[in-house]
Order: sequence, then C-alpha cells, then structure tokens
Amino acid sequence: MRQLLIGAAAALTLSAVPVLAEFPEKDIQGIIQWGAGGSTDTVMRAVTPAAEDVLGEDIVMTNRTGGVGAIATKFVQAQKADGYTLLMGAENPQLYKVMGLGDTDYSDFIPISILARGVPILVANADAPFGTFEEFVTYAQAHPGEVKIGSTGPGGLPSVITAMMTSQVDLPVTAVPYDGDGPALTALMGGAIDVMPAVLGAALENIRAGRIKALTVFETQANPVLPDVPPVTDAYPAFADYLPWGPFFGVFVKQGTPDDAVAALQAAYAEAAQQTDFGKLMDDRGYALMNMSGEEAVDFLNRWQSVTSWLVFDAGIAKRSPDDFGIPRP
Amino acid sequence: MEALSYFLTAWIDPQLLFLVGLGTFAGIYIGAIPGLSVTMAVSILISFTFAWDVNNALCLMVGIFMGGVYGGSRTAILLNIPGAPSAIATALDGFPLARRGEAGEAIGIATVMSVLGGFVGIVALAVAAPFISEFALTFQPRDYMLLAILGILLVGSLSGESLAKGVVAGCLGLLIGTVGLDPLTAEERFTFGFVGMWNGISFIAVMIGLFGVSEALGQLQHVDTAAVKQKISRIVPSFDAVRKYLPLSLQSSSIGVIIGALPGVGGDIAALMAYDFAKRTTRNPEVPFGEGAKEGLVAPESANNAAVGGAFIPMLTLGIPGDAVTAIFLGALFIHGLNPGPMLMIEQPTMFWFMVGNLTLANLFLLVFGLTGIRIFTKIVEIPKGILIPLILLLSVVGAYAVNNAITDVYWMLGFGVLGYFMKLYGYQVGPVILGVILARLIDENWRRAIISEQESLGQFFARLFASPLSVSLFTLVVVLVLSQTPLWTWARRRRVRA
Repeated sequence: MRQLLIGAAAALTLSAVPVLAEFPEKDIQGIIQWGAGGSTDTVMRAVTPAAEDVLGEDIVMTNRTGGVGAIATKFVQAQKADGYTLLMGAENPQLYKVMGLGDTDYSDFIPISILARGVPILVANADAPFGTFEEFVTYAQAHPGEVKIGSTGPGGLPSVITAMMTSQVDLPVTAVPYDGDGPALTALMGGAIDVMPAVLGAALENIRAGRIKALTVFETQANPVLPDVPPVTDAYPAFADYLPWGPFFGVFVKQGTPDDAVAALQAAYAEAAQQTDFGKLMDDRGYALMNMSGEEAVDFLNRWQSVTSWLVFDAGIAKRSPDDFGIPRP
Repeated sequence: MEALSYFLTAWIDPQLLFLVGLGTFAGIYIGAIPGLSVTMAVSILISFTFAWDVNNALCLMVGIFMGGVYGGSRTAILLNIPGAPSAIATALDGFPLARRGEAGEAIGIATVMSVLGGFVGIVALAVAAPFISEFALTFQPRDYMLLAILGILLVGSLSGESLAKGVVAGCLGLLIGTVGLDPLTAEERFTFGFVGMWNGISFIAVMIGLFGVSEALGQLQHVDTAAVKQKISRIVPSFDAVRKYLPLSLQSSSIGVIIGALPGVGGDIAALMAYDFAKRTTRNPEVPFGEGAKEGLVAPESANNAAVGGAFIPMLTLGIPGDAVTAIFLGALFIHGLNPGPMLMIEQPTMFWFMVGNLTLANLFLLVFGLTGIRIFTKIVEIPKGILIPLILLLSVVGAYAVNNAITDVYWMLGFGVLGYFMKLYGYQVGPVILGVILARLIDENWRRAIISEQESLGQFFARLFASPLSVSLFTLVVVLVLSQTPLWTWARRRRVRA
C-alpha cells in the first residue's frame, strides 16, 4: 500500500513536470542602460553569449540610453516581473535618489549578478608639474583654482572621487565637465585639463604609452596591472574607510520575479562570468571581477549606496539628503 | 613590404573578401533606409560576431561603415529623405536633380565622388595618421566652440530665398537641441518633468519628420500629377565631368578628413561645411545652388566618405573614437582581446594596415555596387504617388522607432513632419533647423567648458584665445565669414574694383 502511494506520488510529480515548464521557454530581452561601444555595453555583450549557451535561449540585447540610465531602468520596471526582461546596468541608479533623479534604485530589482567593479585611479597630463598624489595636492593648494580637473557631471565617478579627496584634503581645483570619461581623457591628453579621476581600464593604454601618468590608485593595495603606482592609502590612510569603491556593472530583474527564474538566470550568469575569455577581458581593462549574487550582492549594493550617497551629499553636490530615504551613514 | 602583406590580407582571403563585399552591399541599403543607422547595425553585429575571428568581424563592420555612409545619399536624392544625417546636405541639390529627371546621373556622380572622397580619407589615414591625430588633440574647448560658430554661419547657405527665415529656423533648431538633461550638470531643461524627455528630442526623429513626413504631406497636393520620367541614358559620369569636379572634390575631402578626425564631430557636420564651402567658392554654377547644382552634390558626398578614413585616424593611432561608429569598433577590439590605444600601432602594426586594406577594398566594392542597379533604383521616383507616399510614411515610422526603440520618437517625428510641412508652405527651409539641433550641444558645452577652464574670466578667455595659433585662425575665419555677409564688405569690394 505504502509503495503504491509512493508510486502514485512519483507518477504525479512526473506528470506535473511538463505543465511547470522550466525557465526560460522563450527569448529573453536584455536592456542595456548605456550606449553601444561604451564600457557597460562591452561588458554585457561579452558575457551574455556564454549565459545564452547555459540557458539555451537567446538573450536579445537592446541599448536604451539616456537619463543617466534612468530610461532603461524605468523601462524594465514597467515590464512583467517574469524574468524575461533583464536590466543590464551600471552603478548610476544607486545615486538617483540623492541626485534628485527619481525614486528608483536597485532595491527595486533583484541582482542576478554583479559582474565586475572598476578600479579608480587619478591620472595627470604627462607634462603636469607634479608626479605623485602628494605633489598634486601641494601644487593645487599653492595655485588655487588653476589646476583643471576633468569631471563627467554630478554623480559620475570623477565627482565621487573628487568628493572623496576633498573630504580628506583641502583641494582648490576647477572641475571641467565632459560627456564621459572618453572625451575627458582625450582632453587630458590634449592639455585642456590637467588631472582626471578615471577607471583604470579606460586610462591604461595611454598610461602605458606615456601620454598620461598615473598619480595614485584608489585602493588599499597597488593594482597588479600597474604595480608601481602607489595606493592612495600610502599617503592618506584615512581613505581606507571608503574603499573598496568603484563603478560596477550588473544584471538585474524586477523585484517579484519567480524564484526559479532568478535561480536559472543567476546560475547562467555565474557560469558565464567564469569563462576565461571574460576574465581576460576584465583583467585587460583593469576591472576587478566580482561575479556576486544573492545576499552578498545586495549587501554590496547597500554599502555602495551608503558610502557614495553620503560622500556626494557631504561634498554639496547632492540635491537631497540620504537621510530622506533612510540611507544610513556608513 | 610587410605592411603590404597585412594590407592585402583581406584581398587574397576569399572569405574575408566576401565579408567586406557583403558588408558594403548591406551597408548601402542600411544607410539608405532612414533610421536604420550604421551605428545600430555595427553594434548589433558586435554580439553576433563575438564568437568569430576578429578579422572576419572587422571586415564585415568596415564594409557596413563605408557602404552605410554612402547609402544615405540614395534616399536623399530620390525622395528628399536623407537616409543618414551625413546625407542632409546631399538632399539640398540631389532631390531637385531627381525632380528634373536626372536622378540616375545624380546617383552616378554621388557614387564616384563618394569613392573619390573615400580614397582621400584612406590615403590620409595611411600616410599622415600620427600627424593628423596629434593635430586633432590640440583642439581645445574654445576651438570646438569656434568650429561650432563656423557651423552656425552655414545658415546663410541653407536659408533659401530669405536669410531672416533661415535664422528663425536655425534658432528653433538650437532651442530643440537644448531640451533634455543638461550635459554638464544633469539639470533638467524643458523636460516638463517627463523622464522620456531627459534624453532630449531625438535628432534623427526630427530629421525624418522634417524631411520625410513633410515631403510626403507636401506631395499629397500633387497626387494626380504624373511622376517625372527619369532619363537613364547616362549614369556613369563622363571623364570630363569627373575632371571638372576633381578640385572641388579634393578640397571637400580635406575638410572631411579633418572634421572626421576630430573626436566628437563627424560626417554630418563635415558634409554641411563642404556644401557651404562649395557654395561660397563656386563661381557661376551651371544651375544655381538649391535647384540642382552638381557642385552641391559633389562637395558633401566627397566630404562624408572622406570623414570615414578621418574617423579611423584617432581610433587607430590613439584609441580615441573619431565618431559614434568608430567608438563601437573600439568596443569590438576590446571584446576580441586587442587593446586599442597608442600602443596598438607599435605592438600590432598588422591591425593598422589590415584596416587600411579593408577600407580600400570596401571603397572599391562601393564603386561596383554603387554604379550597378541604379536604373532600378531610379524607378522608385516613378512609382505612382498613391503608393509612394504611404511607403514613405511607413519607412519614416519604422525609422523613427528603430533609433531608440521608443514610441515617443515616432510621435516627435510625426509632430515635426507637420511642422515641416507648414514651414515649407511658408517658405522656411528645414535645413537650418537640423543644423541648429546638431550644433546646439557642441556650442553649448564647449563655450561653458572653455569659460569654466578660464575660471569664468572673459579677459583671460580672449588672452588665451589670441595666444593660440589654431584659435586665432578659427577666430579670424569666423570674423571674415561674418563680415563677408555684411553690406560693408560689398561696399569695400566695389570700391576696390573701381579704384
């Protein structure tokens, strides 16, 4: 009798399988926050083909640019929470609240994978009259307002790093905004600006060619790609409170997506990010591979938001206080 | 000698040869359909070609780039709808030619001049790339601003019969260009709280509306008139004609190479500047500009294809994109494990000559594909209006949607279509509007960057301006162009002639 019951139960389970078909059963849409050819785009287009192989369905990627990533974020939010629309984004939404750009952030999404993190460094024009971070600080203080520092608008990496620096030292520099780190680094080479905080990957080739020089890397240890560039904590140990910090790339789905879909996607991207090709691409571009998901990813997102929101707020470039949104001080 | 073997890589490998050809052919049609852009096609290709060998991917992409820039001229000439922003200037004299039944000849000239321009760009890339990229780097924010002001002065050439109306249209364009998040401070401007407007009004949607839809609406009034019979006896331009336009083509190509090599400025501005240059320097064109002057076709078509080679100059020598398409090429090189930057030419000279070889090959394919099939193409103009007009509208909707996959862009496009119809009805040209939209950001950002860099001191701004030979030259050019359009100039000239 008992065996019969088990048999019946097994039969039931078996027959139930085709009804609850496995995710995914159709193409998945991937919405990229930034434009074609940019770093987010490059990372997503590099990692996704491997995830497609694992999932056995196509992931059709579209760039929906604009509004510092808000257009794509809102678009994905407006879709069904079924796991068939992925948000492929960068760090920007974590600052929307304090920058007055809306009430969305990644807490409205489930992280599938935080793929990688950029390593921030400070670079200078090759002819700049300073060669280290300390010399730069001394020079800037001796020539108030004369040193031009590149920026990419409030909330971008350069503005956060500048806020980090001004929270530790008196730094009377003039910030000149550009459309992105590409145009700003071009301006740095042409001498239109003198220094620029950037991600290591974007500046690496020009550092190697001697067109620009790296003053410091915003980490607690030197980066293996640039072993001779001292970490900022050598001269100013207090920076350690903010580190590790850096812009990141991640794949997200809307809150409320069924667990099996989340699990399938997480497994697919975790495997994809382990591919040697992808690892090499990240190394070459100077990104730290993270491949984080679940609780770990949520913790990372929260800490990132708290550190950065308070930094930009204390520097006076935020529109709203992080307190208004219950973002705790780190 | 080694360089030559890299150069010929794609020429002797049947597979690569086929891919360049396929790319060029596909590019012509992608370029011809408004809204389907080269940028879009190339970025889609990146994910397709991820698993491919890097050489195969690059061959296909180079072909599409070359073909696409040229393809924009097809619809500009035949339907007055530029397939791409770089073909806006082509429509100005190309469409009047089609109206006179000379579409075949116009496409023939456009093809030959595109190929000529393409070669000038390639030669500049091969011979002078390091030199030109260093020159492009010296452009400071104030120089970009002066360049944009030079661009604004093109309004004079695009205004048609009334300069005042042209200025009004240009100002409207500048205003449209300011909508969206402020590029420097992310402050909202004229967005009325809509997130959909943060990105500004899509310039491609404006272009398709003002040219495509307004043209379709305008033709509704002449639905019953029979289409102009196209003369298709002469398509390949005669040797004499080519020789006659050769100096203009070379000069326009030089403009194209330099503008193309400047990061952030591309073929669209190059083509408009070349058109303006042609209009100013051509004495006694056979037909007045705007009514089908061949010179008005030669200049922009040479310049925009020369800008392709130009755009590769900073990309291959410094890893800096010369325009949106080369930015995607950079992404592709990264994905395939090459690290584009100043070291690329030293560490991988193969890549440089391989690209030069591909561009040359694509340019040759362009000549072949461009000159064949024109007869069938010109028939488009002879399609009865009842079929042609809905077709134009359909293309416009698809094109506007495809730019950002946003339905909002379709609404903008239709709105600007209606606006364009009324503008044309009252003698306002739509060209200056587009010019304003293209230049609004360039002038806005760079003026502010320039003055922020000088700690907001106007005195220091001018002091620095006059200390730089490049800025002084651009500034002088602006002053001369402005003065040459005032009565003072004509008066001074008349006096000189009399004396």
